[in-house]
Amino acid sequence: MKLIQRDGESFLFHISKREKGLLFEVLKLYPLIPIAHHRVSQTAAALGVTETQKLLESALADRTRENKRQLLAMLNQETRLQEPVGAHRLTLSGPQMEWLLQVLNDIRVGSWLILGEPDEKKGKPIELNDENARYYAAMEFCGLFQMTLLDALQQSS
Amino acid sequence: MQKFQRVNDLGLLTLAEIEIRPVLEYFPGMAETVEPVVLPDIEKEEQTGAQSELEPGYLVICWDDPVNLMDYVTHVFQVVFGWPKPKAEFHMLQVHNQGKSVLTRESMERAEHYVHQLQSYSLHATMERDA
Repeated sequence: MKLIQRDGESFLFHISKREKGLLFEVLKLYPLIPIAHHRVSQTAAALGVTETQKLLESALADRTRENKRQLLAMLNQETRLQEPVGAHRLTLSGPQMEWLLQVLNDIRVGSWLILGEPDEKKGKPIELNDENARYYAAMEFCGLFQMTLLDALQQSS
Repeated sequence: MQKFQRVNDLGLLTLAEIEIRPVLEYFPGMAETVEPVVLPDIEKEEQTGAQSELEPGYLVICWDDPVNLMDYVTHVFQVVFGWPKPKAEFHMLQVHNQGKSVLTRESMERAEHYVHQLQSYSLHATMERDA
């Protein structure tokens, strides 16, 4: 997948059939991060910000619902994906780039949580098995797609 | 204060003159009370820090994790705070190398807003009361 043209706020990507299949399969995992995972403060109870925590969870739930709605719209919108021979052309607007980055990172971080929060710097390697292997793949694929989107934004700025 | 000079034939003051005579001339032994001069109360303002430094504030902190991509974190800082890339990269590297970075100090409402924004991008961000 690579950026082939930018016209104002519109980004046109070349994406192979295989990449398209991978991207759409990975996106079906969204959302993966439990809303309760996010904490507004490390000392929330001491700060008396319980109400703030509830607001945060409510706001994130709203955001997730909106991302999901846009995601389904994108996946179902045939005109977004034109199909030249052997490949696809994916068109995204600037705001769509932002929410797609959020969606991909939710899947990436959510996969990491499912994998048991591995951290090689702390001597906690990934322990793969038949059940979690797909999440390792999803985590890596999301990273690749994120880098492609970030490179495209970088090139255009 | 105007001086009283004129007298009548008897050496006495006329009524009209008495009315305009300062009271202290009738009671020369009386100490004159000086009306206090009240000057505008202008005090030099002491040098202080910015107002935000004086108010109770909350620190918005981003914590390190091994999963978020460095370029992604930089991008999020640019989008959420509107920072130029060098500043965003500085804070990203601080997170990466030191385990956390204090991104900004704000009122509770503003801090909440930024934490919501950062967490919508799945970054590990919290707000902590500034001691």
